[in-house]
Amino acid sequence: MYGIFRESLVIFKNYGGNGYLLYLFVAALIYLLIAEKDMRKKLLVAIVPAIILVGFFVPFTRIAYVAVIPDGGDTYYRLLWLLPMGVCIAYAGCKLFAEHKRIGVIVISVLIIFCGSLVYKNQYVSRAENLYHIPQVVIDICDKIKPEEGEPRVRGVFPDELIHFVRQYDTDILMPYGRDTLHHEYYNAVREAYHKPEVINAKELLAATRETKCRYIIMIEGRAIDTDLEDMGLILLDNIGGYNIYEDPKMAN
Amino acid sequence: MVILSVCALIFWLFIIPMCMGQLVLNFLPITKRTAGINFLCGYLLSFAVFEVVAIPCMFKIQYGAFAHCVRIFYVLEIILSLIGVILTVRRVRKAIRNGYVPKYKEDFRGGRLKTFFCLTFQGEEKAEPAALISPRTDVRMMRYQYSIESIVFFCVFLAIVAFQLFMAVFMAPFDGDDAYYVVETLLAQQADVMNTILPYTGSSTPLQARHAMAVFTMWEAFIAKVSGVHATIVCHSVLPLVILPLVYIVYLEIGRILLGVKQELLPIFMIIIALFLMFGNTSIYTAETFLMMRTWQGKAMVANFIIPMILWIFLWLFEDCRKPGYLWKEETYGGTRVIRNSSWILLFMVNMAAGIMSSMGIMFGSGLVALFSFMLLVYTRDIKIIPKAALSVIPSIVYLLVYKTI
Repeated sequence: MYGIFRESLVIFKNYGGNGYLLYLFVAALIYLLIAEKDMRKKLLVAIVPAIILVGFFVPFTRIAYVAVIPDGGDTYYRLLWLLPMGVCIAYAGCKLFAEHKRIGVIVISVLIIFCGSLVYKNQYVSRAENLYHIPQVVIDICDKIKPEEGEPRVRGVFPDELIHFVRQYDTDILMPYGRDTLHHEYYNAVREAYHKPEVINAKELLAATRETKCRYIIMIEGRAIDTDLEDMGLILLDNIGGYNIYEDPKMAN
Repeated sequence: MVILSVCALIFWLFIIPMCMGQLVLNFLPITKRTAGINFLCGYLLSFAVFEVVAIPCMFKIQYGAFAHCVRIFYVLEIILSLIGVILTVRRVRKAIRNGYVPKYKEDFRGGRLKTFFCLTFQGEEKAEPAALISPRTDVRMMRYQYSIESIVFFCVFLAIVAFQLFMAVFMAPFDGDDAYYVVETLLAQQADVMNTILPYTGSSTPLQARHAMAVFTMWEAFIAKVSGVHATIVCHSVLPLVILPLVYIVYLEIGRILLGVKQELLPIFMIIIALFLMFGNTSIYTAETFLMMRTWQGKAMVANFIIPMILWIFLWLFEDCRKPGYLWKEETYGGTRVIRNSSWILLFMVNMAAGIMSSMGIMFGSGLVALFSFMLLVYTRDIKIIPKAALSVIPSIVYLLVYKTI
């Protein structure tokens, strides 16, 4: 039981990141528990969140959650979504500074800004290159290889960094493996031949891509390979954004 | 072509929800008949109806399931919007026939339009000085007249929201789950399938209950289909422009109830909320991170729309349970049963909407409803709360049963 409690504590800490906003929330919660006179509001924005917070750490909650929810072990942190953190902090702030609005709004804003982390500074947020919000190079490559209206769908193998985006642009482009293979490290013969080796064995790669009927191979320029794919009978269609696009004529029909 | 698509998006994302919302608004107490709540109700109704249409289509139709789903839902949305508009027009005409006298002269440009607006959104009526003097006016039924200072604070809040909307379009967050959810949406738009193609690779797949039951991706595909805009653009660049304001409307209503007579603090409450959402990215797990970086995913909607909606509805229920009788009667037209129970009806719809967002939505939604209902029961000692709460979670129970049987 103590082990489960420790796990919940780690999840709670990970959820809070630097933890300061969590402290701010807990402070707001304690303030509301003490200062809120209207029992109706107190129940909803102080007592219930306090119960949920305590419940989060109770080992039985975690046991029940994991039993009921698929992947419950990985998603237990979502129970913390039930805590109205923003509402508690904002309401406590308004209540505390009701007579000094201007000072209050500055103090609380500064606290949130310094305790929190700006979402736009997240390492996974970048300037959008287009309205699709996917790299432009993916769009250019897909435009090059996508089938025309009425033509059968095509299959292509892409480097790992492009895998997530290809089918977000065009579902007529199939892939021998997708994000799940990357994420869970599933075995896939094409990926084993294409991604894993330091120097690609061209014969093995072609055997695997032909087995899965891949018409196109997209490969970053300068990728180490024992034999040039053009020497193996493939056609270099284009180089877009540093990626070579090879077409396998044997898979063209 | 672009202009047509933009017009279609405005029609399906703003006009239709506003018209559909009228259908629900007619059953709400006067103070809740506001433009914001109308917008919320429109979306709730849209999500709820979509669930009823999409799930049978997905399970019963083998080929072109999504095309059928789009046709049925298209017709239903139009019909429900028309009913909403007709009901409102009838209500407004009745009010005028009964001698409604506007508190201003109608002879200026758009005067009649203003009257129509006031009668449609009765909850927006401001407490005018004349009304405040009148002994027959109950100012608790009216909106607060904000001071210049509060209006400045509101402008600051709106500027923060405008900045967030700008960033939602011009910044691109990366999330691996998009390779599943967004592609599901695009597959529906491009191949007319409902969860029968594996998004990652494009090979066929049997329905996976956990993902398939959360048809929010299909609702997004519907918007993409009827507007002719690529589903990925709809998800990444269009929907945040709707969902973020939708979330703020919920918080605005929460703030309205929480702050009670101190309504002048509402803009400050909203500024803090807006900053909290923007700076809540302390880890990849927070609800705020999900809202800002995965706005279009059902999980983000559960955390930031469904859960706050439940909190708002219970704040409303708690507020109503100690309301003076005369005010209650005035607000509900003499205590019509449907209007008195409208918050529970809305809760029913929220639970329906929770189902289309994520399988977790039904668990969290019904769990929170149970906890809040228990508190309400303890507070009011009104045994009628039990059947009402039980009825409101029926969608979740049905959802679970379907989920377990497939």
